[in-house]
Amino acid sequence: MEFLQYTLRKLAGGVPLILGVTLVSFVLMVYFGPDKTYELLSKNPTAEEIAQVRAQLGYDQPFWVRYGTYLKELATLDFGYSDSTGERVGAILQRTIPVSLLLLAPGFVLGNLLGVVLGLVAAWHRGGWIDKAIMGFAVVGMSISFLVVIIAFQVLFGVVLGWFPVRGWNVHDLGSYLHYVSVPTLASVFVALGYNTRFFRAVLVEEMQRDHVRTARAFGAGAVEILWKNVLMNAMIPIVTRVMFSIPLVVVSGSLLIESYFGIPGVGKVTFDAITSGDQPILKAVVGLTAVMFVLILIVNDILYRAFDPRVALK
Amino acid sequence: MSLPTADLNPGADARLQPASSPASHSLWGRAASRFAADRAAMIGLAIVMAFFVVALGVWLDWWGGNWAEITGGQWQPPSAEHWFGTTILGQDIFARAIFSTRTAFEIGLVVAIASTLLGAVFGALSGYFAQTPVDAVILWLKGVLDSIPFYLFVAAIAFALDGNPWAMHIAMIATFWTTTARLVRGEVMKLKNLEFVEAARAIGLHPLVIIFRHIVPNTFHILMVQATIVFVAAIKSEVILSFLGLGVSDSVSWGLMIAESTTEVIAGHYMNFIVASSFLFTLVMGFNLFSDGLQDALDPKRSGR
Repeated sequence: MEFLQYTLRKLAGGVPLILGVTLVSFVLMVYFGPDKTYELLSKNPTAEEIAQVRAQLGYDQPFWVRYGTYLKELATLDFGYSDSTGERVGAILQRTIPVSLLLLAPGFVLGNLLGVVLGLVAAWHRGGWIDKAIMGFAVVGMSISFLVVIIAFQVLFGVVLGWFPVRGWNVHDLGSYLHYVSVPTLASVFVALGYNTRFFRAVLVEEMQRDHVRTARAFGAGAVEILWKNVLMNAMIPIVTRVMFSIPLVVVSGSLLIESYFGIPGVGKVTFDAITSGDQPILKAVVGLTAVMFVLILIVNDILYRAFDPRVALK
Repeated sequence: MSLPTADLNPGADARLQPASSPASHSLWGRAASRFAADRAAMIGLAIVMAFFVVALGVWLDWWGGNWAEITGGQWQPPSAEHWFGTTILGQDIFARAIFSTRTAFEIGLVVAIASTLLGAVFGALSGYFAQTPVDAVILWLKGVLDSIPFYLFVAAIAFALDGNPWAMHIAMIATFWTTTARLVRGEVMKLKNLEFVEAARAIGLHPLVIIFRHIVPNTFHILMVQATIVFVAAIKSEVILSFLGLGVSDSVSWGLMIAESTTEVIAGHYMNFIVASSFLFTLVMGFNLFSDGLQDALDPKRSGR
């Protein structure tokens, strides 16, 4: 009961955030966005036809009514029809989101796991050559553009070595999935690893300097036991926070680049096409849903705090 | 939205009080000598300065001015005349890469300075007036800007400004200040309880004078490090935005060169791609080393040494 109350209170606290995000995106994309009237009209339209199309698009309504319509669309998850294909936005998202999740999940998991492992190794050997080597690689990784990595890996694995396909998404079983997901996964792990390792190392080093770790060492506990029980578990809160908050970023921004470059029909590709063609119903849906996802993550994150640290009270 | 390149800095919030001792002038002296002793940081500084000289030369029209001219045949290999060969149209890749250095510095400097100023002002206000409506509004604004996906936000601003070439800068400034503001807010909340602020309040100074004359200068170490981090984030984002068609339009940049090269690499012509990526990598790497060194040198935790 206490838990339910807590969750509801957190949800209520997220409402101003959702209102703000939807308002900003509405003002920028719809109110000041491109005027679609003349795209839907034939040549030399009469004033009557113009008025009719404007009414159909809702342009004759006052600002707050139009914003209210958008909120209603978001609440009912009914965003109407895409401007460019005429397909239902909901159907497009239902088809493309699973593709993006399948595409991004391995890279996301591996990027974070490897980051934690490398961070642990570097923190354990703090100041030694292993630490310096890992941190050196991290800075190099941070300095290479995602775009450059994608292009380089595509040329290397697809064109020069010819091991993997570089375009498309023809997935029907595990083998073909692995075939298509490998290069995008390598690219996203490569890019994420530099930032992740640095962040995780900094968090772990801080934890490693605490008294209880020194005590554990003095009692002769092994490296693995100390790192797992005394360091990693206690550093879980900042780690979980970072991992959680990178989800919306990876899902939207990561998929946008990877999918538009590899020609994979996921939600990022759909968003990219919507940006270039000014397809407002899709953009409204993506921005609105990302904002909702962000707020949900804020809440789940607070709940996870409690799971990892019983001292955090539900208040 | 804590963009892909935004470097989270867990140590910053835990910093001890800086510059609270009367010997604050020597804080910078100590930081400078620590920085000078850091080999990686000095290499970074040298790289950044070298690129800055290149950019300065373009501004003064010493070199790189002929980036748009067709000076040779299609896809010529590197030669004495065209150091890095030519593009699909026969433009000199070296001149384009040189001119793009200026583009990168323009974007980096404009975005870094503007977003650091915004972050300082909003962060200081929300820190000084913590737990008041002013703070609540600024925190809400930060939350809103952090929850909008960056590339969509840029696209939306580009639409709203109808293809204005500053759309990319404005979008970056509007989103990059939030991290700076968060760090400044934490620092100001600590500073405002110190004696010098209490003294300023006791003699009846206006809160805005206290904030901007007495508190904000003490957050300068955070602002400097954040400005270098934002600089890197801005030039890295430019590359991706230009590739997506949302960035530089009437000039040339490394991002546009890489975007052009995507068709060339499939055909086996790598010069455009290699040159643009190497310039970008070297400058970003230099700035990252510089930024790390700055952060270590200015870290008040270590000022006792």
